[in-house]
Amino acid sequence: MVAALLRSQMSVPESIAKGLAIYLMMAIGLKGGVEMSKNPLTMDIMLVLLAGIVLSFLIPLLAFIALRLTTKLDRIDAAATAAHYGSISIVTFVAATEAVRLSGLDSGGHLVAVAALMETPAIITALFLASRGGARREPVAGSEQGELVREVFLNASIVVLVGALAIGWIAGEEGTASVQPFFVDLFQGVLCLFLLDMGLSAGRGLRQGWRQLSVPTVGFGIYMPLISAGIAAAIAGLLGMPAGDAALLITLTASASYIAVPAAMRLALPEAKPSIYLTLSLGVTFPFNVTIGIPIYIYLALLVAGQG
Amino acid sequence: MTKHLRIELIVERMAHKRACRDLETAGLTGYTVLPAMAGFGGSKRWNRDTDLSASGDMVVIISVGDEEKVRSAMTEIGDLLGAHIGIVTVSEVEVLRPGRF
Repeated sequence: MVAALLRSQMSVPESIAKGLAIYLMMAIGLKGGVEMSKNPLTMDIMLVLLAGIVLSFLIPLLAFIALRLTTKLDRIDAAATAAHYGSISIVTFVAATEAVRLSGLDSGGHLVAVAALMETPAIITALFLASRGGARREPVAGSEQGELVREVFLNASIVVLVGALAIGWIAGEEGTASVQPFFVDLFQGVLCLFLLDMGLSAGRGLRQGWRQLSVPTVGFGIYMPLISAGIAAAIAGLLGMPAGDAALLITLTASASYIAVPAAMRLALPEAKPSIYLTLSLGVTFPFNVTIGIPIYIYLALLVAGQG
Repeated sequence: MTKHLRIELIVERMAHKRACRDLETAGLTGYTVLPAMAGFGGSKRWNRDTDLSASGDMVVIISVGDEEKVRSAMTEIGDLLGAHIGIVTVSEVEVLRPGRF
């Protein structure tokens, strides 16, 4: 990130970065599926899945109110930005999974399913918030029926994540043993390489878009993940989730999307300014979460699980 | 050589399918979509490398046709650019094989 802020020419080629993203999502999906295959689908797990969906629907509402009260963003920009904070960042989730593992905590594979489920409800809330400003929104010129639904439900991250999760769940540990060297042993190295690219992207995004962000908007990028984390921690406590699972649910709720939601927003709310929502989620919230947020979320999880 | 109009549209990648549909609906017989590497607009520089979602990428769409078809496409594309990021230009060009357009 520092290299990008200092205008270094260093970059990971675009197609390699996209390949790394697919690898990470596939690896995390397979791992989650294998973990899920070891245990039956209990009511506790179903409640966590439901909690994820409810959080993704509700967080944009809070984010929207916070943005409208503390910043000068109009309804459309605030709704589009709020969608990013209700959805999730899969890279932050992957980094948190590693942090949880290194902290000596166990986490269930079903949290990968929670991640997939939390990607899209926020978009629906944001569209509702954006449309309340006036009469029914006219369809965007040239839009085709089903175009947004395809983008929202069949984007690359959901297809790869859910697909790999299903394969891991069906095949189990034995069935996936032959791909273990590729998807497990190489995982940390690839994650490092991908985080390097993410750092560069975040730094460049921040350098190119910082003029569009006011101080209250940047503040939102820092305090909103903490508010979301607090709410998720309370729900994790109510559900009696173990510390590892709670840490991941908190991280998912606190993270902000910068892959699936920006693409959906360009289709559904093209009037919203990407220089605001993308700079905020990628340039401010992502680095905050990866460096400072995740340790806080693990600590919160330990507290609610009674291990703090 | 026959004179035709060349329409050049620089538009955000996420809207390019909508723009292409407009060109097809107007009856234009072909178009080409090219990726854009980097640029400046709206007081902001942008670069393909910055955005992993590629939602901020821009593309260039080029098409050539007779005046009636290009003007018809321009109306629809004008509506599209009411919401999406982009610019459109039309210029007069000479073509070797007019029957193809």
